[in-house]
Amino acid sequence: MAVGHGDSSSSDKKPTDALNDLQTFNAENLQSNMKVIYYSRTFLSIIGGVIAGILGFNGVIGIVFYFLVMAVTSAALAAKAKFSVHSYFDSWNRILLDGFFGGLMSFVLFWTFAYDIVHIF
Amino acid sequence: MGLGFTVGVIGVLILGHAAYSTIQYRSLLKITEEEFSGPPMEVVLELLVGLLFCMWAALTVPGKFLSVHPHSDENRYVSLCVRLRYSQIYCVVDFTGNTYVTLVRLTVSCLLCI
Repeated sequence: MAVGHGDSSSSDKKPTDALNDLQTFNAENLQSNMKVIYYSRTFLSIIGGVIAGILGFNGVIGIVFYFLVMAVTSAALAAKAKFSVHSYFDSWNRILLDGFFGGLMSFVLFWTFAYDIVHIF
Repeated sequence: MGLGFTVGVIGVLILGHAAYSTIQYRSLLKITEEEFSGPPMEVVLELLVGLLFCMWAALTVPGKFLSVHPHSDENRYVSLCVRLRYSQIYCVVDFTGNTYVTLVRLTVSCLLCI
């Protein structure tokens, strides 16, 4: 009967505790946001790899291209979050650095793949 | 989401076409026995367009960002309290969309949830 407050099972503390308000997050939504970032970065790493292969990049210039693509992705994700990162994440590092090196393996794989198809076979 | 997916597929097809054009350009260079220094300008533009399409798809298809504040509007649920003679009806819709209706035949003070 009692109408309680909207506590989902993933929220941590009482809503009246203002001091802890900044540390209380809806962890479910935070995880969902992290997944969105992960999928975006992985897909763009693959696309970046294909483009690097088609352009015929060799060596360091390819890695530089990867960092360029990731930097643009970070900027685009920040724009998607309307630059108010603290509404959707707990820190800027999530949006700028998370998954940065995770995509590197996919990038190199598809870079090699595309380069072989276009320039060697 | 359907539109984003379509744009992504178009972007990948554009990249495929650019790859095919580069293969043909290379076979032309083999005939003229020149070195490959880079694909032609049209192919570079095509790659850029493909990248933009794929980037747009990568940002829209995985879904929206949800607010992490526990008290934000999206996470709140609304309670509507209606006084009906000596009984009260509570209608509560929580953030998962479930609706609970409770009828209480007591004169209890109406608790509005914030």
